[in-house]
Amino acid sequence: METIERAKKIVEGYDGRPLRIMEVCGTHTHEIFRLGIRRILPDNIRLISGPGCPVCVTPCGFIDEAVEAALEKNAIIATFGDLVRVPGSEKSLAGARSEGAEVRVVYAPSDAVDIARENPDREVVFLSVGFETTVPSSCLAVLRAEAEGVDNFSLLTANKTMPNAYEVLKGSADAFLYPGHVNAITGTAVCERLQSEGVSGVIAGFTAAELLTALAVIVEKSRAGKPFFENCYPRVVRPEGSPKAIAIIDRLMEPCDAEWRGLGVIPGSGLALRDAYARFDARKKLALSPQTGTGNPACRCGDILRGDCTPPECPLYGRICTPLSPVGACMVSGEGACSAYYQYTDRG
Amino acid sequence: MEQYIQLAHGAGGSQTNELIETVFKKHLASPAMTADDAAVLTIGAEKLAFTTDGFIVSPYKFPGGNIGKLSVCGTVNDLACMGAKPLYMTCAVVIEEGFPVAELEPIVEAMGRTAREAGVQFAAGDTKVAGKGQVDKIFITTTGIGQLTPGADLSGANAKPGDAVIVTGDVGRHGCTVLLERNEFGIEADVKSDCAPLWHTVEAVLNRTKNVHVIRDATRGGAGTVLYEIASQSGVGFDIERARIPVDPAVRGVCGMLGLEPLYLACEGTLVMIAPAEEADGIVETLRSMPYSANAAVIGRVTAENPGKVVVSTEIGAKTMLPRPGGELLPRIC
Repeated sequence: METIERAKKIVEGYDGRPLRIMEVCGTHTHEIFRLGIRRILPDNIRLISGPGCPVCVTPCGFIDEAVEAALEKNAIIATFGDLVRVPGSEKSLAGARSEGAEVRVVYAPSDAVDIARENPDREVVFLSVGFETTVPSSCLAVLRAEAEGVDNFSLLTANKTMPNAYEVLKGSADAFLYPGHVNAITGTAVCERLQSEGVSGVIAGFTAAELLTALAVIVEKSRAGKPFFENCYPRVVRPEGSPKAIAIIDRLMEPCDAEWRGLGVIPGSGLALRDAYARFDARKKLALSPQTGTGNPACRCGDILRGDCTPPECPLYGRICTPLSPVGACMVSGEGACSAYYQYTDRG
Repeated sequence: MEQYIQLAHGAGGSQTNELIETVFKKHLASPAMTADDAAVLTIGAEKLAFTTDGFIVSPYKFPGGNIGKLSVCGTVNDLACMGAKPLYMTCAVVIEEGFPVAELEPIVEAMGRTAREAGVQFAAGDTKVAGKGQVDKIFITTTGIGQLTPGADLSGANAKPGDAVIVTGDVGRHGCTVLLERNEFGIEADVKSDCAPLWHTVEAVLNRTKNVHVIRDATRGGAGTVLYEIASQSGVGFDIERARIPVDPAVRGVCGMLGLEPLYLACEGTLVMIAPAEEADGIVETLRSMPYSANAAVIGRVTAENPGKVVVSTEIGAKTMLPRPGGELLPRIC
């Protein structure tokens, strides 16, 4: 409690130049709204919800591929729950399910391997989305399927990595609230490199005390006017990260160009299965059609993710785009900026 | 409205309401129907509460109960929320071909035991067997009728600014238990459903004071959905203090891991009560003396400001909106 009060006082009392702070983790976005942190910020501090929610940045065409696998290739889709309502160009997985597709919500990729064992006559496709935090468990599921001879299991990948995304985003904020869980895997090297390029930020945890402390550190360090980096989540994030997790990712996956919903294609910002594991790649195994789907052109998600506009400034927000029938990236999951705005603020 | 029924249409949120309004009420609406847990019917000089509920819980048994116990508690509690002493019930049981009798009997035994505890008698029943795969093991529908307590006037439309908001126990335990029993998350936690018949709990409160404005059971959709429903029915707002909401530590842990809001997880033995502030301490004292409501607490108050909205004071002292209910219960990722 004392930590919260002390950090709150520092943040509330900030009287320096205007600060734009971008969080790039969906869980941070959600917790910041849930705790009401934006409501205690002075006018000269602005929080921008960057592209940190893996569901939100998953492009339309990926959902189209999953729907095709389910409805036309008769595959069982195993997925994290948030993806079920993400709109594709024509329909979401929830829509496909009401037309007879089998879509199972799982909490861990290895659950999908179990489903594959129980359904030997069907292909079971796990939708592998997420950042460095979730990729290792997808890789472990593939290794388990390989070891156990489960050959009706595959991944449909849309995994993303942060380093190259920062290059696209660095002009949009004065400091980043780095995603603690991602840095727990990747370590602190990327943050140190960014600091040397003039980009500031702190690694933040997820409790009220951790988030407020991270913001207080940004506020204090900003006064000096020099690029800074601080690990404010040392109980979880070590400088070297998790070499074991990094090794598993590297063994099975290789970097690829990736489309981010709202931001477009960022070179080298995705991960795909290496050729040696092609037999676990749903895209190749089921010969899925190339991704061509695009979202609604009126949607301003890209601008929102870069902080160029706020959700209520988008013409679709709250009118035809709501959490129940999301149109754009940021309304899709509870961790998206538009969704959090819509749910936690007094939108009338 | 979607072209096909989706699971969210059964989740108790806005899509359920849309389905009821656009399909069911269109053909079935009558003056006797209200948005409360049970209808209040005047037959001759007698005022009776009347309600029905279907149970399809999967799995059909879970720590703290089974579908049989649940089917009695659900209907007994709906009647109790109107201040009605449950008198008679009926049940309609649909069983899947191949279901073991040895599994059926404990379900029916629990129905009988729970009914006796609540003081309600089964007056009629129906049994159907559906072919294999045509129903998921066992579905039960119960209907109940109860006698209104003279002097009690309970309705979701009765909340007044200044009233205290009380929960009779910790929230979200049933929903959490069933989620874990489905074993989809690979999480193990020691959580037991709160499933319980609550007529005697309500009776004890009404014996102490009839000055209670609203009682609702926080089943599907949880306490959060109930608060939004009352806010809309009564045209009031709520100011809820996060720190005062009782949540079992294991439930809190599971919610943290899965990104769930405990206020939106179902309770089957916890009620939301709204009463004038001066009655609140007495009601909580009575509740804490009863077996199923030892964790009762005042969690906030009714406000004239923010009509139709539920505002939460968070642990950092900021006020924010409780997200509106809606949609399927989904865990979030990463």
